[in-house]
Amino acid sequence: MTLRRRLSLWYGVVLLLCVLCAVLATYDELILDAPNYSLHEVAIAHSRFRDVLHDMVLVSVPPVLIGLVGGWLLTRRALRPLERMAELAEKLDEHTLGERLPSEKRDLEIERLAQVFNAMAARLDGSFQRVRDFTLNASHELKTPLAILRGEMETNLRTWRDLSEEQRSQIASQIEEIDRLAKIVDELSFLVKADAGQLRLALEPVPLHELVQEMLEDAEILAQPGGIEVSLQTCDEAIVSGDRQRLRQVLLNLVDNAIKYNAPGGFVKAALQSRGGEARLTLLNTGPGLPESHQGRVFERFYRGPGERGGTEGSGLGLSIAQWIMQRHGGRLEFHSQPGLTTVTMSLKVRTGSK
Amino acid sequence: MHMRVLIVEDEPKMAAFIAKALEEEGFALGLAKNGHEALEILLEGVFDVVVLDVMLPGPDGISVLKQYRQRGGKTPVLLVSARGHVSERVDGLNAGADDYLPKPFVLAELVARVRALGRRTPETTSLVLRIADLSLDTVAHEVRRGGEVIRLTPREFRLLEFLMKSGARARGRMAIMEAVWDYHFDPGTNLVDVYVRRLRDKIDRSFDIKLVHTEKGVGYAVRNPS
Repeated sequence: MTLRRRLSLWYGVVLLLCVLCAVLATYDELILDAPNYSLHEVAIAHSRFRDVLHDMVLVSVPPVLIGLVGGWLLTRRALRPLERMAELAEKLDEHTLGERLPSEKRDLEIERLAQVFNAMAARLDGSFQRVRDFTLNASHELKTPLAILRGEMETNLRTWRDLSEEQRSQIASQIEEIDRLAKIVDELSFLVKADAGQLRLALEPVPLHELVQEMLEDAEILAQPGGIEVSLQTCDEAIVSGDRQRLRQVLLNLVDNAIKYNAPGGFVKAALQSRGGEARLTLLNTGPGLPESHQGRVFERFYRGPGERGGTEGSGLGLSIAQWIMQRHGGRLEFHSQPGLTTVTMSLKVRTGSK
Repeated sequence: MHMRVLIVEDEPKMAAFIAKALEEEGFALGLAKNGHEALEILLEGVFDVVVLDVMLPGPDGISVLKQYRQRGGKTPVLLVSARGHVSERVDGLNAGADDYLPKPFVLAELVARVRALGRRTPETTSLVLRIADLSLDTVAHEVRRGGEVIRLTPREFRLLEFLMKSGARARGRMAIMEAVWDYHFDPGTNLVDVYVRRLRDKIDRSFDIKLVHTEKGVGYAVRNPS
């Protein structure tokens, strides 16, 4: 039951009690105060009491009704600041922590609550900011030592003449690991900047169908070693408002995953459809699929599928980045999977008023 | 005439291996360790190319670059930065940099970029590139080896053209990504490796002399092995 309804009910009860008190007082005045009445007089007093009671009930109905309606409205007015507070608190997440409740100067109790709430949001905002700054600084600071490490190893590989082939391969493999580490650091700082709202999209009209065709060309090549068949079922024309580089990044990431997590000799079927003002790219593949409990987690940062931990490919950040990019485009990325069949859908509003 | 390269870098180890690699190329080198020093030396105007780190004590690389350009400095600048996102690349280029390399970089790639920036005259690219018996006609879009025409997809053609234009030097995966795919992010795929493998199949398989080379820790090159 809402606070408002409960308060109104109580208010109604209080009003009824008032009426009851008045009735009792009248009863007392007319009947109990006259103990020496004769039977006839008692009958008259009772009859008068009934008349008065009748009038009183008639007279008290409108005030009680007005009182109830007024109370209902009054509680709404009193509770409105609280509701506003709740609305804002609901919207509050790590990205909107900068927002504050308006001051309620007229109602000191509410004002105090707003202040407490704002102070809490400010503290939270501060801690989020510190975590972001820390990650961003850490990823910056890591890059110089990584660059030194990579540069020195590359120098060794070039200048140490008497290395055996095995030693060369070892150093090359170490360099590969440095590159992988650098990529993770890069992706981390991308996400931190994205969280902090420091990344902007360069929006322009982008022919999504062209990007998809281009992606398919690369996909066919990427798929050959695994004997995976890649096909484009439909490719409707779709001009979207987007950041070309970022959209290509998403497409390549999705198709690369569809090929990487696939069965030997499997397929990847892509379809771009433009319907009802929405462009929708579906990628269907014969991937091993994920158990139900894992499906909601594929966009989580550093998420790797079961049994994937030991693998050397990927950082587990690619899909998080892809999802962020799609969200910033006002689009969606969805993942559905059943054993042997996985579907990834990317939807984006088609640009209006352009061709 | 030796090319003179100024390295602006406060990290001694970093400066050391960059210097070593550039010296091997026969470049004459100068070193500046902070922003003030860099601007002073730059304004004397004796260098042909500048390798400029963004993070420096004193004024940072970007503001050094801006001041230098405002005062009319024209020397080509290769910006090296620990940041590496597209927007920062654009910011760097807007500040007046001629090229941009995010850390950590492939050292051989840095050398290739410095060399490219140092060419005073624009590359005299002939219309037909040749290495051994391999020829690539940039106008007719035709590739031949030993007189035989080799069919390449547009992407493979661009890849071969880029590697042939780089001379004997190997190019890093990211540089190839940028030049052939116009990707300014690391897509985390082995796209480049797969394409080079296909290219190698088409160009080298039926010939004794192999022209497509993998250089460990660096990238790929197309050159005559002799």
